[in-house]
Amino acid sequence: MKLPTRKRAATDEQGTDFVPMTEKARYEAPRATIDPDRSKSWLRRALPVMRAHKVVFIISMVLTFVGLVLQVQIPNLLNHAITNSIQSHTVPLSYYVWWIVGLAVAGGIAGYISRLFLFETAYNFEYDLRNIIYEHLTKMSFAFYDRVQSGQLISRANSDIRSVQMYMTFAPLILVQCSIAVVAFGFMLSINVPLAFVAMATMPLVFFVGVRMRRSMFPVSWIIQARLAEVATVVDENVNGVRVVKSFAAEEQQLRNLSRATDRVQWGYIKDADIRARFTPAVQNLPQVGLALVLLFGGYMVIHGHLGIGAILAFNSYLLMLQAPFMMLGMLIMMGQRAAASADRIYEILDEQPTVIDKPDAIDLTESRGDVRFTDVRFAYGGEDENPVLADFNLHLAPGETVALVGRTGAGKSTVSRLLTRFYDVNSGSVRIDDHDIRDLTMDSLRANIGIVLDEPFLFSVSVRDNIAYGKPDASFDEIEAAARAAGAHEFITGLEDGYDTVVGERGYTLSGGQRQRIAIARTLLVNPPILVLDDATSAIDVQVELEIHAGLRVLMEGRTTLIIAHRLSTISLADRVVLLDQRRIVADGTHAELLETTPLYGEVLAQAVDDLEPDVEEGLASTNGTSMGNGNGNGHGTDAGLPDPVGSARSTGGNL
Amino acid sequence: MGGGAPGGFGRSAAPGLPFAGIPSELQDGVDRLLQSEPEYPEPDLVFTQNGTEMEGRSLTLWRLLMEYPGMLALAGLLVVVIAVVSQAGPKLTEIAINASVGSHKSFVLVAIMAAAYLVSIVATALSQRAQVRVTGRIAAWVMNDLRITIFTHLQRLSLGFFTEEKAGVIMSRMTSDIENLQQLLQDGLSQLAIQGLTMVVITVVLFTTNVELAAITVFLIIPVLVVASIWFKRASERGYDRVRDGIANVLADLSESLHGVRIVTAHNRQRQNVIHHRNVVGAYRDANNYTAHVNAVYGPGTQMLGVLGQAALLAIGGEMVLHHTLSVGALFAFFLYLNRFFQPIQLLVQQYNTYQQGQSSVTKLRALLETKPTVTESRDAVELPPIDGEIVFDDVSFGYDPDVPVIEHVDIRIAPGETVAFVGPTGAGKSTLAKLVTRFYDPTSGRVLIDGHDLRDVTMLSLRRQLGVVPQEPFLFAGTIGENIAFARPDASDAEIHEAVERVGLGEVIERTPNGIDTVVHERGQTLSSGERQLIALGRAFLTRPRVLVLDEATSNLDLQSETMIEAALDVLLENRTAILIAHRLSTAMRADRIVVVDEGRVVEVGSHAELVARGGRYAEMYATWISQVDAHAEPSNTHRA
Repeated sequence: MKLPTRKRAATDEQGTDFVPMTEKARYEAPRATIDPDRSKSWLRRALPVMRAHKVVFIISMVLTFVGLVLQVQIPNLLNHAITNSIQSHTVPLSYYVWWIVGLAVAGGIAGYISRLFLFETAYNFEYDLRNIIYEHLTKMSFAFYDRVQSGQLISRANSDIRSVQMYMTFAPLILVQCSIAVVAFGFMLSINVPLAFVAMATMPLVFFVGVRMRRSMFPVSWIIQARLAEVATVVDENVNGVRVVKSFAAEEQQLRNLSRATDRVQWGYIKDADIRARFTPAVQNLPQVGLALVLLFGGYMVIHGHLGIGAILAFNSYLLMLQAPFMMLGMLIMMGQRAAASADRIYEILDEQPTVIDKPDAIDLTESRGDVRFTDVRFAYGGEDENPVLADFNLHLAPGETVALVGRTGAGKSTVSRLLTRFYDVNSGSVRIDDHDIRDLTMDSLRANIGIVLDEPFLFSVSVRDNIAYGKPDASFDEIEAAARAAGAHEFITGLEDGYDTVVGERGYTLSGGQRQRIAIARTLLVNPPILVLDDATSAIDVQVELEIHAGLRVLMEGRTTLIIAHRLSTISLADRVVLLDQRRIVADGTHAELLETTPLYGEVLAQAVDDLEPDVEEGLASTNGTSMGNGNGNGHGTDAGLPDPVGSARSTGGNL
Repeated sequence: MGGGAPGGFGRSAAPGLPFAGIPSELQDGVDRLLQSEPEYPEPDLVFTQNGTEMEGRSLTLWRLLMEYPGMLALAGLLVVVIAVVSQAGPKLTEIAINASVGSHKSFVLVAIMAAAYLVSIVATALSQRAQVRVTGRIAAWVMNDLRITIFTHLQRLSLGFFTEEKAGVIMSRMTSDIENLQQLLQDGLSQLAIQGLTMVVITVVLFTTNVELAAITVFLIIPVLVVASIWFKRASERGYDRVRDGIANVLADLSESLHGVRIVTAHNRQRQNVIHHRNVVGAYRDANNYTAHVNAVYGPGTQMLGVLGQAALLAIGGEMVLHHTLSVGALFAFFLYLNRFFQPIQLLVQQYNTYQQGQSSVTKLRALLETKPTVTESRDAVELPPIDGEIVFDDVSFGYDPDVPVIEHVDIRIAPGETVAFVGPTGAGKSTLAKLVTRFYDPTSGRVLIDGHDLRDVTMLSLRRQLGVVPQEPFLFAGTIGENIAFARPDASDAEIHEAVERVGLGEVIERTPNGIDTVVHERGQTLSSGERQLIALGRAFLTRPRVLVLDEATSNLDLQSETMIEAALDVLLENRTAILIAHRLSTAMRADRIVVVDEGRVVEVGSHAELVARGGRYAEMYATWISQVDAHAEPSNTHRA
């Protein structure tokens, strides 16, 4: 037995021996990642990603500044045109007209490029962040997924990324625009110092009122959001619980529930209107007060010959120009607070470290013989301090052997398969394949050698063909069809609207639980691995159909090491040997007949199995991830319709407790 | 029920990630706001199966608004005031400028104009304030009406609608489609009116100031601006469609990867998925960059157009001043109004998007309101008097699709107090028969009678109040366990709830929960085992003390221990009541007085367990298969179960 200890040299872009890649990367990988140093501020941690796009960003900033400087010239030119060309006739009018046209065109071009580049920076930043998070998530261990709800992750990937992205790109823009206020103020000072101060008198007020407005608005918008969620909850319950509502004639009561919730929303919106009514008119009209004051004092100065009439026009334009940046400055402060909170939520995900990782000197497992050995395994989901699910667990599967693992619901049967595939690492003891501790192997090679059909027949919303080829994307159609035939799926697939090209899943054609399981079996059979684990893989399949599949399975199991986790006797009958799991360890080992004879518990467990064919949702793992998607159509139409099945296998596949 | 229920309370509170609740910096502000919230009177809405309020009239924005004619008129008045008064400034400036140059210099006039300017600013601000308050209220009220109207209509729609339409679609009608209207109603419509009027006002003022220059300005700038704005509107709509699709794909891909994480890992697909996700995010970025291009053209482009307009105005207007056909003040007014001309057009483009979104929401909501319930209450329906519980299927045929019958010519009579089990293969029509008794559907032909009353002749309320239904998937509502039990009778006393708890055997379960009966049920009871949830549903049915009980495979999702408990609860529940059991397990069916075997929509056999086994027909066959399964490998369990 020799194993090549080739070091894995694959990059993310390429496949390995174990993972063929069929999809070509059409877009670049993120060039940087978030600074892992947690002591730094959120902004500094994001800088490396920002820096990857610095050229475009700096060009954008420079051109923004140029554009604004050009823009600031125009009121001044108008001022000079009116004073010099219209009032005193010293310069021809066309001189100023052409200057303004030139500035307008130059400003337009600078504006276009700077805006485009700024947005592109923003979207590149978002692109990087999304990919960084996704890549990070693919590396996370199952302990993380047990703990975190996918809804939370999705909302973070959605709104939090947006809020950080907005701030990272618009903060510099607003700052540049505000810096133009200095330039404009300089121009005003150069025209007339006292009038410049009069004109700007109300600007600080605009800023402060803007800040106060946002401070008052945020709580109320938060309240509204929370209350809209309450309304949504009532609606959601009435849509999903419509049978209960109708059968108890509780419509009026539900209507009143809704009314209570919408009254609260209504109050929120009226409060929101009142707050806006207090601040918006002030923010919008305060700069106008500056205009009136300029008219008063400017008019006085013009009459007494201290000021050219064009200056009033210039001041007017400057004040209008400055209104927006001052309002946005207030917005910037609030955006900063939100972005900081969002960044914290994102970093929280990125700072999680995977616990199950490849050792630096991990070797590849190639062509396993299929010798599987659990030695003194102890394991608890919550870590070493928790109550273990398995303790002193020992089990050996000789190459080519088929073993059925039987036990009560919740005994830890699925845990065994999860340890074998290194979804989790054991607390102590070891799992060995071909005498290699699986922690010394690369996960890619380990999992490529193990085919597992999970109790949760999750399908992706792609075609049936792509679902079956999920683990072997480069498979030929003949291979796919052969796998489907072996899993007893070919017949119903060809009956679907588009056959193998039918798109299944959430937005596509929905299949029954039994059909899903058969596709899941085909998916694993196609990979054709040396070690096979069937984790309650046929629970929703009709007994008669299961028998047909067995023929296919038997052929495939030939020469493979197979671990079957099952409830049904018919499934157990596939095994050479049965082991009984109870009290965290194997308590009996032998053939079915031997166990029936010697171990009363075995009979009890089987009896339960006859009545209770519920999918094995051990340790609540399935429920923590909100697996409702995988069980989308599980409401009582679990099996293939039309077949008499008095024992009761026809039921929900969606046993989320 | 301990061991058999792994999903129980032990792992209920997944710690998840922090930062999920209210942001700390908002807490104070939120608390302060909430102190000013009044107590609301208990709602006194009345639900009737046959609506009147929106019936016969299709939903339009205008009709919704016309519910508040007084406020609407006030809003209209304020809009006109704002549009006129806010444009006084440049005109006043014109007079002041002319008073400070030329032959009749007068500071008094300048001061008066400046003061008038200040007054106009204050007046604008005050009317804006009033307008925001008025339109905000109209919006809040209309939205409330709309939510109630749509929800009431949803409550009237028949079960068929809820099975055919995706839950997500119905949800979005009541949430995002209605919320889409918020922005439009509170601000959008008034802004559309104000900006539109402002443009009219400015045009009028310009023409009264100087017809020639006004004509040149208006005809030079407006067409270009309009063309640019139309291009922008179309291009940005296209862009945002792409962006919406893009982000939807990104989130769908992410969500699938998360939900299917075990499959992904088991099949070593992480690396390929990273590439796939990158491609999806990349397509989304492309869509974003397209909108960036559109925005970068339009924003700076209109700005450039504004400056070019100023240059043109300077060239033409300046010449006119030089030739004394225009006053300096008037030229000023033109410059100032020109600046103000651009703002409304840009705002109009924005508001128009809001308007279109709002309109498309209204269209969808209108279609929903025009969906008629298939099961309706007849106008002269009578109250069903207290019943004994005799149920008769009189030559009943039914199909969800009328052309595809699910049930054909079924005749069954169930005597008061009798327990009847319906058995048969999946899809045979067992559950459908039960749905006809609860009048979730009406038969295509034939009649369903309770105590001799055709169900279609009695009110749904009086019918359903006397029925108790326990569905296969017990649905729990947000709230405490106690509230869930009292769902159908919120007025039930604590003693009654307690009795229900004890009688169905929930006592032990509740003792183990942290807050007893007041324990809050999270996420539709995912923290409870299915057996526990089923017991709550049974308690719920018990509390209403129905005359007729329908149990739709109520015991099928249970482990052995739970089932034993539930069967005990059933014995209590079934006592003296007419009951229909839709049974999967023959063990459940066997406890019925009579068994009805249904296959392919027809009743094939009726009789007691013993009779049917003796008859050697379909049921006997099913029983034999079942017995052989039990005997084959569950021999020892018979002693265990006894």
